[in-house]
Amino acid sequence: MKCRGVILFILLAAAQLVPMVADAGEIHLSAAASLKNALGDIIAGFAKTQPGSVVLTNFGASGALAKQVVQGAPADLFISADAKWVDFLLQEGKGLAQSNRILAYNKLVFAGKQGSTVTSLADLPGLQRIAIGTPASVPAGKYAEQAMQAAGVYQELAKAKKLVMAQDVRQALLYADRGEVDGAFVYATDALLAEQAKILFVVPDTLYDRVTYPMLMTESGAARQEVQQFFRYLGGTEAAAILQKYGFEPAR
Amino acid sequence: MFDLSPQDMQAIWLSIKVACGATLIATPFGFAVAYVLAFSRLPGKALLEGLVNLPLVLPPVVVGYLLLLLFGRAGFLGRMLAFVDIRIVFTLAGAVVASAVVGFPLLVRAIRIGLEGIDTHSLQAARTLGAGWWDTLLSITLPLSGRAVLAGMTMMFARSLGEFGATIILAGNIPGVTQTIPLAIYEYTNTPGSDTMAMNLCLVSIVLSFGVLLLSEAATRTLRRN
Repeated sequence: MKCRGVILFILLAAAQLVPMVADAGEIHLSAAASLKNALGDIIAGFAKTQPGSVVLTNFGASGALAKQVVQGAPADLFISADAKWVDFLLQEGKGLAQSNRILAYNKLVFAGKQGSTVTSLADLPGLQRIAIGTPASVPAGKYAEQAMQAAGVYQELAKAKKLVMAQDVRQALLYADRGEVDGAFVYATDALLAEQAKILFVVPDTLYDRVTYPMLMTESGAARQEVQQFFRYLGGTEAAAILQKYGFEPAR
Repeated sequence: MFDLSPQDMQAIWLSIKVACGATLIATPFGFAVAYVLAFSRLPGKALLEGLVNLPLVLPPVVVGYLLLLLFGRAGFLGRMLAFVDIRIVFTLAGAVVASAVVGFPLLVRAIRIGLEGIDTHSLQAARTLGAGWWDTLLSITLPLSGRAVLAGMTMMFARSLGEFGATIILAGNIPGVTQTIPLAIYEYTNTPGSDTMAMNLCLVSIVLSFGVLLLSEAATRTLRRN
């Protein structure tokens, strides 16, 4: 009786290991949160050209994702919203420098409730709560901080504790959409997906670094054919069309 | 060796404020609910008990989300409070509410055990001697359940110091306003190069929790001697 129980237990334990072996053909993609919808469509398009391919996505703030990769998270491909994090990975020896290519560009906007009287950065100190991504790990927050510093309103807002730190740009968008904050700094592409929030103004280009989405293959990823294929697909015409549909500026 | 930035000091101070606030606000309500559960013979007692224990079994994030739905702009209580210009979401009050709700079951549980341990003969003797309800409460019930109330408050305080899920959803991560120690540590763990800062705050958190436990032990011993 006891023997049967032990055998059953061992079989069950062994069965847990099977998924790990079947792992082989999966592509691990860590990408900026703002690319979520566009990449979803691109992956679907890729699946049509390469049936049987599985892309496991991990969306979040580019800084947080970069930290995960350095700490050993499995990632074959990394797409950031800021060149800083790709440079960081290369510095830590975690990527293939030759694969560093730009996927697309984006713009920073300020989104908020309909009927809000805010028309420029100078109007911000009059608001109660503004959501931005945490500047240290969310590129959208870093660009927002840059723009606010250049316009001379950041110190005032920070001292008055009016900045609500979001985990990534999509969370900042959610805060604005729900109306819990008076406005949020998000990308133009995110604002297009908002249900309640509207673009109140576009942040002038000169006030922040251009929003760039560089890609990077890790060494483990570059060694595999599926990852190379997906990487090529990302640089192709179908992917560019999808990116354009969502409001990005493809790099082609 | 131990470098705490001004933002860290703010986080520590906020954690203490929120934990104190939550404990002080929740204790009277917790005592009342524990009293009802221990002594009364209400028909819906099981339902009340279930409701009180709900924040204990639900994931804190779910508790936070439900509170957000309740206190948000479109929420039932949110709209009522907006009339008197009170905001809960993304404020210190929100952090206190989140901690109070999440720690409430622990408080009630501890107090109830203490109340149920009181010899009912003492209470009945007080009634036969002519003591009113309020008199009995102050002279017999409270002193005899003092240790249990203190234990409940300690658990509630410690739980508040570590509360994350409900706080980040209801109160958000606002440095200087709602960024308590757990939120600050979480922000550091998401940022490359901030591991030392995260560790420093972790140590502070451990020391604080230890301090609370030692204080509580000392207070319990003093009560026992009396």
